[in-house]
Amino acid sequence: MSLKYRLLCIVALCVASIWALFPRTVVERVKRNGEFVYDTVRRVPLKRGLDLQGGMHLALEVDDSKGVVADKSKAIDNALKVVRNRIDEFGVSEPVVQKAGNDRIIVELPGIDDPRRAQDVVQKSAFLEFQITDKTQALEKSLPRLDAVLKDKKVAVAAAPGEAKKPDTTAGLQSLFTADTSKKADSTKKDSANAVLATGGPGAFSKLIQQGRLPGEYYVAQTDVPTLTQYLGMPEVMAALPPGKVLRWSSDTTSLGNRTYRAIYVLDAKPIITGEYLTDAKPNTSPTEGNLVQFTMNNEGARRFRTETSRHIQDFMAIVLDQRVMGQPPVIQSAIGANGQITMGGKDLQAAQDLALVLRAGSLPVPLKVVDVVQIGASLGQDSIHKATTAGVIAVALVIIIMLGYYRFSGALAVAGLALYILYTLAALAGFNAVLTLPGLAGFVLSIGIAVDANVLIFERIREELNHGKTVRTAIDEGFRHAMSAIVDSNVSTALTAAVLYQYGTGPVRGFAVTLLAGIAASMITSIFVVRTFYMIWLSRTRDTQATLSI
Amino acid sequence: MLRILHDTNYDFIRWWKVMAGITLAFILLGLGSLAVKPPNYSIEFTGGTLMQLNFVQPPDVGEIRATLDQAGIPGAEIQQFGTNRDFTVRAQNPATVAAQAGGATTIADRIGAVLKQKFGENSFRVIRTEGVGPRVGNELRRGAIIAILLSFLITLIYLSIRFEWRFAAAAVIATSHDVFTTIAFLKLMHLEISLTVVAGLLTVLGYSLNDTIIIFDRVRENLRKGRKETLYETLNRSINETLPRSILTHATAFAATLALLIFAGEVIRPFAWVMAFGIVTGTFSSIYVAAPVLLWIERKWPRQTGARQSSSTATPTSRTRRSPATAAR
Repeated sequence: MSLKYRLLCIVALCVASIWALFPRTVVERVKRNGEFVYDTVRRVPLKRGLDLQGGMHLALEVDDSKGVVADKSKAIDNALKVVRNRIDEFGVSEPVVQKAGNDRIIVELPGIDDPRRAQDVVQKSAFLEFQITDKTQALEKSLPRLDAVLKDKKVAVAAAPGEAKKPDTTAGLQSLFTADTSKKADSTKKDSANAVLATGGPGAFSKLIQQGRLPGEYYVAQTDVPTLTQYLGMPEVMAALPPGKVLRWSSDTTSLGNRTYRAIYVLDAKPIITGEYLTDAKPNTSPTEGNLVQFTMNNEGARRFRTETSRHIQDFMAIVLDQRVMGQPPVIQSAIGANGQITMGGKDLQAAQDLALVLRAGSLPVPLKVVDVVQIGASLGQDSIHKATTAGVIAVALVIIIMLGYYRFSGALAVAGLALYILYTLAALAGFNAVLTLPGLAGFVLSIGIAVDANVLIFERIREELNHGKTVRTAIDEGFRHAMSAIVDSNVSTALTAAVLYQYGTGPVRGFAVTLLAGIAASMITSIFVVRTFYMIWLSRTRDTQATLSI
Repeated sequence: MLRILHDTNYDFIRWWKVMAGITLAFILLGLGSLAVKPPNYSIEFTGGTLMQLNFVQPPDVGEIRATLDQAGIPGAEIQQFGTNRDFTVRAQNPATVAAQAGGATTIADRIGAVLKQKFGENSFRVIRTEGVGPRVGNELRRGAIIAILLSFLITLIYLSIRFEWRFAAAAVIATSHDVFTTIAFLKLMHLEISLTVVAGLLTVLGYSLNDTIIIFDRVRENLRKGRKETLYETLNRSINETLPRSILTHATAFAATLALLIFAGEVIRPFAWVMAFGIVTGTFSSIYVAAPVLLWIERKWPRQTGARQSSSTATPTSRTRRSPATAAR
């Protein structure tokens, strides 16, 4: 290939690279005044991963804690559509919603600043269940055991080291009278933050709840709700709960006298029917029951519903939406068919409309649980980019010093090649739409140090050839030729490793592999082709065959 | 022209026994310490919850720990992460992981809630939250092991084609040596094994393999020249001839690694440590593992053709009594 064509190739590559990296106008969903709007923005087309721009990554799976789902893959497919609809409604720029493997949904929401809400929107299954309230007094029977568990728990906590730092004297005095475990109890009552566990004395569980008006209904003072919720989250407590039953909070509160209560219901764990048979839902207002949502089931659902409800005449049926009991469970007067309604309690018509909408358009066919979450603040991402850039600049500077110091003029050629290497690599990343992650950036910085290896190999060969008394021209030719096999073999084997990484890596590691691959390609192009061309230019300008090469 | 270690003629391989002893001791130290205490896996592998918190005022670590212990999140590891206002909270004991089965955010939410209760609503910001279920972790661990084994297999095949199986086997054994030394290093440095560190390990393997290939490429070339020398001598000659290149490349690679180590921040530091060690072990194994192993293979399964017979039959000087070919008996 003549010098002219070589130069043309390099220039063309440069132009293509600059074009690939040039800031361009893209239509993007951006947040403006808290609202998401489509807008045109100019930006460098390098995609940053979640770890660099902040955001949220969620992996969702079918929650089979209530009932086995036969065909998970299909259920996930259906759920995927629903989640995608909701994310679109939610309004995030460039969200990713995809199926991973057979039974998982990956959701990536870049730039999310309210992860709680985002997660709710994704996870709010709008999952409707109809469950019969317990009439066997199952919770009462379990109370002694629950109290015992909490008592044990408290002792264990009090005995833990580092507890007895600030014993509160008043609480200590009290405990002398109330707690039978005397000394161990007082130290836990040190402040309000610990009050939750400190109250775990005798009858801790039973004193929080009182029997309601319906079977399986209990009232909990609103102030005690967090405490009980925490108890219910303890594995030991979970184990002591009545088997085959579940506890569900009511969606709203009731006032009795001057205190506010929230009802908790003990329900048969197995729902008589779920919302999967729902075909339609619409909001309505009834003069007697306030706002409500009326729903219709398909034929199969109606048939099931009829059979099940006819078996439970005079029982109370809780309508459970996403594990919250909606309104007070109505008594089943007679078999219910295709139509039913959900009362909204004190909520406004807007809430009824929203509920109707999610039920109609997007109720998840199966409950999803978050199995994997990564949430990164935007500031951390900025900071990471900043630090990686600093490291990159310093790495480049050090490499330049070493190359110029050791190889002088030839080193300068290598440095020019290195500049093109950086340009080409970034362009390749942009071109392949690769996502730049923090490990990827680190890999890139590292590759700057390793990229000159090919140059070093070639230069050392040229030096050897010169030592053998070859002319500059021949030495350069031979040097490139002899170094080739080593360069090819070492780069190809690294590329193969990178390919394996890409295949088996996830997220950040994948990004790393892509950067590595792009780097290897760019390094081979620059060291073998570009630097060679530079030498050819230099040779064509030095007609003198006796010229010495600064290497 | 500036030259470093040019035209040298060191008998590198002569010291292989000493070197083997050193590296073996290092590996055994690392593995022994592994047997005593399991490695420090990141939550990506074990499952669990990690939160990075930025406090307005430097908090008392003991207080954080006590608060979490009381809230039923015992054994959480609290570590300073950069400044004295930045901390990571890591909850990855089995009980915590099990509690996450219902949802990956449960523990994170609880940690956030109790710390807010203790230190005040706006006393800290959550910079990063990671919650990983145990199943995800298992898949990753398997993925990492498969990745390493597969990369070995592919390397073996590629080098067998490009060189021959003896070189391929020696290169892969040298690279496996680096896996062990790096694991020992991770353990002795108490570095956490995360996905990024695994990526670093794989980079180290690639780097070490590169280095071995460069030397073997020279050996292949020198063998073709048909000099009257033993493989032992050819190996030494090749190592010496590639020495300037090794010095330069390791210098630039080390410069980049150093930049990462110092400037790229806390998240990347473990990766940079692995890489820094990798440059050392990669260089070492190319000379002191790959070459002796190749000699040993050569003695066991001598090549039929070529000017050389097995190296043991052609020991040139008394010094080579130390050559692994004879010592391996």
